Amino acid sequence: MKIAVLIKTALDTSQLRVRDTVVVEETPLKISDIDRNAVEEAVKLKGQDKAYGVTVLKWGPLQRRIQEAENVLREALAMGLDEAYLVADEKLINASHAATAKAIAAVVKKVGADLVLAGEATVDNYTGQIPPRVAAELGWPVVTYVRELKVEGGKLVARRDLEDHVEVVEVPLPAVVSVTREINQPRIPTLLAIRAAMKKPINKLTLADLGISVEPKVSAAYKPLLMQRKKVVIKDGTPEEKAEKLIQYLKQEGVI
Amino acid sequence: MKTLVVYPSKELLYVASTLGGEVVALVFNEGEAEAIKGKAHRVVVANVDARLPDAVAEAAAKVAQGVDVVLLPSTKNGKTVGGLLAQRIGAELIVDATSLRVEGGALKAERYVFGNKAVATVEVPLPAVATVPPGRFQGEPPAVQTSVEKLQLDTAPKTRIVSVEEKARGAVKLEEAEIIVSVGRGFKKKEDLQMAFELAKVLGGQVGCSRPIAADLKWLPEEHWVGLSGKKVKPKLYLAVGISGQPQHIAGILESRIIAAINNDPSAPIFQNADYGVVEDLYKIVPILINKISKLKGQ
Ligand SMILES: Cc1cc2nc3c(=O)[nH]c(=O)nc-3n(C[C@H](O)[C@H](O)[C@H](O)COP(=O)(O)OP(=O)(O)OC[C@H]3O[C@@H](n4cnc5c(N)ncnc54)[C@H](O)[C@@H]3O)c2cc1C
Repeated sequence: MKIAVLIKTALDTSQLRVRDTVVVEETPLKISDIDRNAVEEAVKLKGQDKAYGVTVLKWGPLQRRIQEAENVLREALAMGLDEAYLVADEKLINASHAATAKAIAAVVKKVGADLVLAGEATVDNYTGQIPPRVAAELGWPVVTYVRELKVEGGKLVARRDLEDHVEVVEVPLPAVVSVTREINQPRIPTLLAIRAAMKKPINKLTLADLGISVEPKVSAAYKPLLMQRKKVVIKDGTPEEKAEKLIQYLKQEGVI
Repeated sequence: MKTLVVYPSKELLYVASTLGGEVVALVFNEGEAEAIKGKAHRVVVANVDARLPDAVAEAAAKVAQGVDVVLLPSTKNGKTVGGLLAQRIGAELIVDATSLRVEGGALKAERYVFGNKAVATVEVPLPAVATVPPGRFQGEPPAVQTSVEKLQLDTAPKTRIVSVEEKARGAVKLEEAEIIVSVGRGFKKKEDLQMAFELAKVLGGQVGCSRPIAADLKWLPEEHWVGLSGKKVKPKLYLAVGISGQPQHIAGILESRIIAAINNDPSAPIFQNADYGVVEDLYKIVPILINKISKLKGQ
């Protein structure tokens, strides 16, 4: 089965560069954690066929990000993907989600796939909208929040993890599936696999290569959220005394 | 101005009314239509299975013609329908909007981003789609005259629901809890969580947990799970015990009034995100707290 895996080079939110606003351009990128689970699932399911990664660069500046994205993709290749497609185009930097999905779908149409796998959401924006958008663009069914996946005779059987229940659904291929972190334990690549990944192709594409154009960008400003917490730390005394102090504070606040 | 509400709740209809103009609701059976009569100008009853995002998006796309804003709940199916619909109508989707208004032909909204370490102010052209987290907006939609109509779709859905299993559920409603004692990997064994339940009991609160406790160790059912991928809570007291305070956990407790923490590592990030922190071994201090607080309450 030929599988496309969507891999976001997400902002590393543990290393946000913050001044008056969040300086997106200076914040490093990393693989969006849940995409590792999508890669793992693809490597398990692909069989004799190929599995490839697709990345559309969203965060600028373009030139520097290309190198960072290549490093992220090498990681996914080391986990067992066969090749990767990196769509890097100035017009896609800070683009709308509609544009990002259009570019991803264009790669999938160009390379072909029976299944598109993605993480349930990306760690920086956490909206989970790209998988359904790509499905809409391709005209394929979508199954989101999947924690168990089986392929049986051209059909997918998936367990969806919803708020109050687990739903087992069946869809025909081709389809788009988003997975949760519970679906598997992503492998840690061996040194050998990491070396082998250096030789696997990363194909760079622009919008012109894909023959598509996209709408104007979306305006967004990012203001750091300052934690307005009192940060009183009780560290001296016996456990007894500390407990007493904590209780006093909580009583003063009127919460107990 | 015209707003479409898919999977309407009182809350969503209220938010729609604050945007002004006509409110249209999309529902999937007569009972739901009856329940919101008087709360929307038009109710469309579509003959599709509400559990199938593809089918719901198809129906919503039909009704969305001429609509400026589409609102959905921030549930997993709500977000899935939002993505499908937004792509079909060439719109942006704002997930988990914490504020929303329409101004100068654009939808302006705020939402938490980057592991809830920042607030994004976004402005997107109309038509636009947004999902709203439960419990965020409170108000009553104004009473209006409602007309009800039917929408007949004849496309057969590709997705088939084979079975539905209810998740193990207790009486836990963390979103409504006033006091939450939350447990993390600082607890060494499942049995030790008993301490936290006792502390919660004497405080008159409920027990929450970090992700590993529910997802990896499975010591507690998922309804206790707090954070970015779990429940978003807003108690008056959130007491984190043996929780390190990673941003994904903090993301779920931002709206707590007071955050207190117990951790034996003075450099644990939870102390940067708490009002009151105690550097101590939880095994030593929790029994003392249970004792003292039960005496206090007994008075
Ligand atoms: C995409 C994504 C989504 C996520 N979503 C969530 C989410 O929704 N909710 C969530 O919670 N996490 C989430 N996580 C995981 C998160 O990053 C952390 O891994 C997790 O919150 C850590 O849980 P913890 O604090 O219980 O464990 P740890 O980080 O292991 O912390 C345990 C703490 O206990 C303290 N401790 C140990 N022994 C004692 C003792 N005897 N007395 C007192 N203190 C002690 C330690 O000092 C430590 O600080 C998510 C991660 C990702 C990547």
